[in-house]
Amino acid sequence: MLSVAARAGPFAPFVSAAAHAVPGPLRPLAPAAAHRDRKVPLDLKRPLLCRESLSGRAARGGLVASASLNAPASVRCVHNDVAVPDFSAYRRQDVQDASASSQGSSDSRKGFSYLMTAATGVATAYVAKNVVTQFISSLSASADVLALSKIEIKLSDIPEGKNMAFKWRGKPLFVRHRTQAEISQEAGVDVSQLRDPQHDLDRVKKPEWVILVGVCTHLGCVPIANAGDFGGYYCPCHGSHYDASGRIRKGPAPLNLEVPFYQFIGDDTVVVG
Amino acid sequence: MAARSVCRAGSAAGRALLWGPRPAAALLTLARKRGAATYAQTLQNIPETQVTTLENGLRVASEESNQPTCTVGVWIEAGSRYEDTKTNGAAFFMEHMAFKGTKKRPGSAFEKEVESLGAHLNGYTSREQTAFYIKALSKDMPKVVELLSDLVQNCALEDSQIEKERGVILQELKEMDSNLADVTFDYLHATAYQGTSLAHTVEGTTENIKRLTRADLASYVDIHFKAPRMVLAAAGGISHRELVDAAKQHFTGAPLTHKGDSVPTLKHCRFTGSEIRARDDALPLAHIALAVEGPGWADPDNVVLNVANAIIGRYDRTFGGGTNQSSKLATLAVKHNLCHSFEPFNTSYSDTGLFGFHFVSDPLSVDDMMFCAQGEWMRLCTSTTESEVTRAKNYLRNAMVAQLDGTTRVCENIGSHLLHYGRRIPLEEWDARISVLLNNSWITTASAVACTGSVSRMCCLQVGSNGAVDCDRFPLAPNVMGTRAS
Repeated sequence: MLSVAARAGPFAPFVSAAAHAVPGPLRPLAPAAAHRDRKVPLDLKRPLLCRESLSGRAARGGLVASASLNAPASVRCVHNDVAVPDFSAYRRQDVQDASASSQGSSDSRKGFSYLMTAATGVATAYVAKNVVTQFISSLSASADVLALSKIEIKLSDIPEGKNMAFKWRGKPLFVRHRTQAEISQEAGVDVSQLRDPQHDLDRVKKPEWVILVGVCTHLGCVPIANAGDFGGYYCPCHGSHYDASGRIRKGPAPLNLEVPFYQFIGDDTVVVG
Repeated sequence: MAARSVCRAGSAAGRALLWGPRPAAALLTLARKRGAATYAQTLQNIPETQVTTLENGLRVASEESNQPTCTVGVWIEAGSRYEDTKTNGAAFFMEHMAFKGTKKRPGSAFEKEVESLGAHLNGYTSREQTAFYIKALSKDMPKVVELLSDLVQNCALEDSQIEKERGVILQELKEMDSNLADVTFDYLHATAYQGTSLAHTVEGTTENIKRLTRADLASYVDIHFKAPRMVLAAAGGISHRELVDAAKQHFTGAPLTHKGDSVPTLKHCRFTGSEIRARDDALPLAHIALAVEGPGWADPDNVVLNVANAIIGRYDRTFGGGTNQSSKLATLAVKHNLCHSFEPFNTSYSDTGLFGFHFVSDPLSVDDMMFCAQGEWMRLCTSTTESEVTRAKNYLRNAMVAQLDGTTRVCENIGSHLLHYGRRIPLEEWDARISVLLNNSWITTASAVACTGSVSRMCCLQVGSNGAVDCDRFPLAPNVMGTRAS
């Protein structure tokens, strides 16, 4: 029991209440040393740290205490002693002087404040708009999907007279490097005789490069390059003949081969789509 | 334009229909002449205030009115505004000591002499002026002047009395603390004029009251109680000539002249838009005072602001009439149970002032009352009706006239006017100034003060339990930056 009390540490007072020392024949009863807390006198010069004083709400001086027989005793803080703290650390330069009217500088102070507010408002609106549009535009097509819509073709790989076919947006894309003879031949064709009248120069940006979607306008087969009666393309399905500019000359197709949107980037590259 | 003339014609026709043919004009004038003097006649017949300035600068002013009693007093340009932090409370202390005997009449001899005349001695101290006045029979006027001169020049300032008064003043402070409206206004000044001498309370801090010595009080008297800053005012059955003779006899002593260069000057007091909240949830009601910076005494805009205050009106729960009040704000207050009472105020000092309103309300309706009161200010700037303005002008005229009942009030009016304006402004002039206010001109002034100019200067304070109050709310203002000391 006693050993438990000795090892109980902070619980000793509570434990020892249940245990009492029994004097033995040889050892007298040693009374437990009474721990009386030393009285710590209140040092009035040191600021008292309590919840109120730490939050700045304690009465600082000017306490008026009253005690009487038939009224409650009270300690009160008189309102005269409440001093407004000095806020000069927060004041603007114009209103630092306590003996100058604040009216004179009021316009400039207000103007500055309103200007800062307006500027911050504009900036915030701009940022907000950007953030929102970024989030919403993330719902639109992603980069890899967008990349599928364009194709970049290196023109130096295509020799003169040759037609190269690429897969673009699921359709064949014909890029033909035309010879000068072909160009002049196509330029000389009488437009009024064509089923779908279009001058060659209207269908190309640079005359030596003609870029076409290789889908026959009749029923969608893929024409064969460098075939047919007109030195252009021949569709084997139903016998449509196209010329070197992709215009329909003979056969059932109603329209010329489609010219997609393309751009020449530099001398050597064209981006279609 | 056309619409207005149609309306006027229509209303004239309506009136003719309602009241039938008007009685003959001759009958009407007869009735009028038999009655009492008209308002304008009365104003003109008020005796003129005569002012004489003595050699030492003392102004002697009086209004003779053939009455058996008179009030004679000294109004001094001294108050808590002239004190600094160390001497705050000296004026109030002096007022207490003034009644405790002079060198010629020590102890209670002074009071006994006043009482033996059957006279009343009184005084007050405010932020910018101190006054001592005696109400007595007219025939005792020379004696009264002598008593006043004794009081002002020869105050005994006995040490034993000073020590006794300390306790009395501290007790008075404790009692004043329970008058929450006054506490509110003290806090309002403390925050509106923070860092300046107008922030001081009139009574001073307890530390100063415990610390002020005879020397402090004597030096206060020495600096401030001087002839050029005093007005000897009188009203009642006295004659101005006799008053001046008595003044020349008693008020020309050496103590009343400034020594050398020691004329105190007033520095301007900066107004700070700020807020102070003294929260005490044990109190049942909240006292709120909200003010913007107003003009000083001598500014003619004061008339405009007083008319504006008359439009805003007052209210407290004892008013009958329910929701049918003439003041729109009062109607709102009743309808939505916003407050227990409210009143607008226009306090002026020599170069600045506070224009605002004070209300007492339940903690939960503070927010709503603030909103409505500020909304009323905004409404004043844009949409007052002509009938409202006319009513307010008449109310103000009535108040100015009714205020001057009795020789004491008249004497005080003389004293304070001479200190504030340098001359007594007669009721006729007030009436004229009020009459010339046109509906639009005063709106411009009111707007300048209450709406555009002062958005950044607002002082709000409340004492008592506090709900969620947002003092930053000012309905038509774009924003209220600068309600924190800026």
